[in-house]
Amino acid sequence: MQFVSHLWREVRRAPARILTSVFALSLAVGAIGVFAIPTVAASSLRDSAERDAIPQIVLRTTDTADVDLDTAVSSIANVEHIEPQVLTVVATPEDRELDILGTNLTNQQIDIIGVDAGRLPTAFGELIVAEDTLRLGTTWTVDAADGAPIELRVVGIGGTTFWNGEGVAFTDRATAGALEGVDGANRLVVRTSDTGKEALRSTASEIRDVLSDGGVSTKTLPLTIPNGRHPIEADIEQISSLIGLLGIVAGLVGLVLLGSTANTLITERTREVAVMRALGGTNRAMRRRLRRLAMGIALASVVVGVPLGVLISNLIARLVLEEFVGLTPGVAVSIPVMIGSALFALVGARLVAANAARRVTNRPLAAALRDRDGSPFGRRLSERLVARFATGSILDRTAVRNGVHRRARSVAMLAQITAAVAALMIIASLATTVTDYNAALDEPVRWATSTYVPGPGLDIDASLADGDPRAEVGSTIEGEVEGWEIGVYGFVPDTQMIDRTMDAGRWFEAPGEVAVSSGFAERVGLDIGDEVTVEIASGSHQYTVVGLHPDRDRTVFIDVDELADDMNLPGMGNVVMSLDDEPPAFLSGPIDVERLAEDDDDNGTAAILLIFTAIGAVVVSVAGLAVASGLAVSVYERRHEFAALQAIGGRRRHVFRVVVAELIPIAAGGIALGLVAGYLGAAAIMESFEAANAVEIGFTFASGAIPAAGAVVVAGALLIGGLMVRRVTSRPVAVVLRGAA
Amino acid sequence: MALISHESSVTSPLSAPQAPGFTKPHAVRPLVSAHDVSRQWGKGSNAQLGVDRVDLNIGSGELAAIVGPSGSGKSTLGALIAGIDRPTSGSLVVDGERIDQLSTDQLARWRGRNVGIVFQDFHLLPTLSAAENVELAITLSGRSVGRSKRRAETREALSSVGLADKVRRLPNELSGGEQQRVAIARAVVNRPRLIVADEPTGSLDQAAGSTVFELLAGLRRDGTTVVFITHDRALAAEADRRIEMLDGSVSRHSAGGVDVRIPLTADTLVAGVQ
Repeated sequence: MQFVSHLWREVRRAPARILTSVFALSLAVGAIGVFAIPTVAASSLRDSAERDAIPQIVLRTTDTADVDLDTAVSSIANVEHIEPQVLTVVATPEDRELDILGTNLTNQQIDIIGVDAGRLPTAFGELIVAEDTLRLGTTWTVDAADGAPIELRVVGIGGTTFWNGEGVAFTDRATAGALEGVDGANRLVVRTSDTGKEALRSTASEIRDVLSDGGVSTKTLPLTIPNGRHPIEADIEQISSLIGLLGIVAGLVGLVLLGSTANTLITERTREVAVMRALGGTNRAMRRRLRRLAMGIALASVVVGVPLGVLISNLIARLVLEEFVGLTPGVAVSIPVMIGSALFALVGARLVAANAARRVTNRPLAAALRDRDGSPFGRRLSERLVARFATGSILDRTAVRNGVHRRARSVAMLAQITAAVAALMIIASLATTVTDYNAALDEPVRWATSTYVPGPGLDIDASLADGDPRAEVGSTIEGEVEGWEIGVYGFVPDTQMIDRTMDAGRWFEAPGEVAVSSGFAERVGLDIGDEVTVEIASGSHQYTVVGLHPDRDRTVFIDVDELADDMNLPGMGNVVMSLDDEPPAFLSGPIDVERLAEDDDDNGTAAILLIFTAIGAVVVSVAGLAVASGLAVSVYERRHEFAALQAIGGRRRHVFRVVVAELIPIAAGGIALGLVAGYLGAAAIMESFEAANAVEIGFTFASGAIPAAGAVVVAGALLIGGLMVRRVTSRPVAVVLRGAA
Repeated sequence: MALISHESSVTSPLSAPQAPGFTKPHAVRPLVSAHDVSRQWGKGSNAQLGVDRVDLNIGSGELAAIVGPSGSGKSTLGALIAGIDRPTSGSLVVDGERIDQLSTDQLARWRGRNVGIVFQDFHLLPTLSAAENVELAITLSGRSVGRSKRRAETREALSSVGLADKVRRLPNELSGGEQQRVAIARAVVNRPRLIVADEPTGSLDQAAGSTVFELLAGLRRDGTTVVFITHDRALAAEADRRIEMLDGSVSRHSAGGVDVRIPLTADTLVAGVQ
């Protein structure tokens, strides 16, 4: 109770300063809460993954018609259950593509479908569709694989965690089989007893082998989902780490603000404490009393900041999950992050306050009683030296000397401006880099449209484009090199669909030769002449690297015919690239046309940028508040000096001039250091991102934002400085000077 | 001509109390004229009255002492006369200017040109040397003075208070008496018509205090009006005019040993013997 009343007295003494500190530190503590995003997201994802019995292994295969799957996998100890499914594509009444998954709906054991409205299909042709895909009751007729018409009818709305965010429909296997022309299954989902990463890889390999023995080949690399994790968790962790770094910056800025506020509030009690010491108060008791203030501010910040952090982390997690997974998560908290952010504020406050309190109580009693405004100017060598320089106007001189005299305040403001500018530049640079990277991904591309036919395999005859000088058949499949997921792109050797200018070496010409993205090659230690093992759906294949291509993704470029051979599908491809804006006329049936001008990842990029901007706004706000508060305190501390200046004829503009003159070198230094820190910080973040993804993302420093950052700092400083000068100069000089006595 | 006849004032500061302006007090126009001046802080039940309906005139070239016990309102009255505070009611004319009607900046400009203020706590700018503190007053006065002339005037002012050899010292490197002499040099360097000194000797030992008082008292020889606030009755006894304050009001007002009738009604010195 005594602690609370003591704090209340302190708040009444300097309400603006203390509330600003509480607010900024609360934001900082809240910003640190972003570290909870992976936990919050994972909590929802894993809950739903467990509820829906998400598969651990997914394989896309050719028709398993003649294979008894249960018998085939019975020798594989790790397999708990294998579910045959059929995946097909139909056109909707609005002529959109719709994936339809045929599965066992009577005894669901894997990837269990949740029903939001209507019911599960019970009859041939009935569908349950993902939300926002088709309306309940929609009925239309499509052609089956054998040409017979099948009436499809939507009887339910629902979905599974695995398929969240995808426009997909679920039906029984018979319906999907008829649509696809598959007697058995073309997709296998597996639950295992050991869900470890290596166990899953080995089990997937064993399944692939037994399927191969039965004449069934896999069309894509097996998808493995270890440890009950949702596939998107790794991406969320990566984004969260990035945001968390910004949170740390916010936290540090908040602590600097707390430090400078606590320092001011404690230092200005030097005399008061000295009187109490003179009356018999011990240094220990005085320090405890002084520390209480900072601890109170920190405690209040924790009370506000921790729930704020929970709110921020949940909001961002929701944004991410809704955008990328189509899942609305429940509210979750991360106890370690909550405790960590609270400790960060409390321990930080304790440390900065202890330092200031020690300085106040260590001051010789006589000096503390005598010197009202702390140590007088001229005691230190640096002060005497700067006093010898009589350059500039007298007002400028007093500004410069004051900056040296109150160096702790100057350094704090320098740090705060540095942090604000750095945060601004990091955010701007990340945004610029992401935008440039997305643009750079398409730089080597020369095709205007790429057209796919449904299905995961190589279903287009490579000779289809023969004779069309503006089109080529190629292949794009998933692969793996040294544990990294890669894209394997098949082109004709003299392709005109991609810029073949190389960073080093040459484009492939002979069998067994490949070109590799140079950034990826550098990160996995591949060079020209090296052998590279590429894992694709059909197994492992070895190639020789003959060139490093400037492509910014993780890509292996190979002869389309060789890739078809290696996939055991000679003469086939899966994409038709065209230099024209419309797909070639020779393509018929359901096709999926992608136009280069249409960036289907725009929404994802926008979401990431939105998250960066949101958390960046918090960081910049904390830093801005810190700068504003530091500046306000700096002006307020010197109100007696300014009143003396006014008493001898100084007008408001003279006081403002002194404030600005003092601020200019600090702001200039802060901007310069902030730019350097922003550059290094953003470059380091992108470097870590590159290392984590084994790609060459590149780094674009947002130099265009420099004038804006400078203008924001200067305008903000002038505004706050002007307001504070107005405030301190509007009081009668005599009243202010009386307060000094 | 030196700003202050330092040597003479130090050697015989109190030997010539009859300053030129004092011989015919009734004939001079007042430099300071306060009519019904009040200064109040706060409102309602929290209201505090610092100065309550004060009327007074102080003549040009006079050495006027405002005396009274602590809390009597003498410093508040001094601040009002110096223009570093503003009356809440009444009119205050100094050297023909209604200073109670000036804006904050106009008042500051007026102070820079017309008033020199000496505080008990000196209020020198701690980061400026003695010379710079004095030179700053010239800069802020708005007088169009070249750099060399400004420095010459600064040197002259500091010399006149006996600090020619300490011009580059920081306030921290000066004694209390020396700091107060720098403050006096700063106050007189623009040759103002009015000097207001609030307890100028309050923080000083007796010797330093005497020196400071002598310097101030000597200023009236050049026709400068000096208003000093003090609780030292011995010093107040040396003044041409003595204004005694009690509870915010003028309890006694005497000039040349003759009581002045309160309130005053004219803008000239009208002395009435009670």
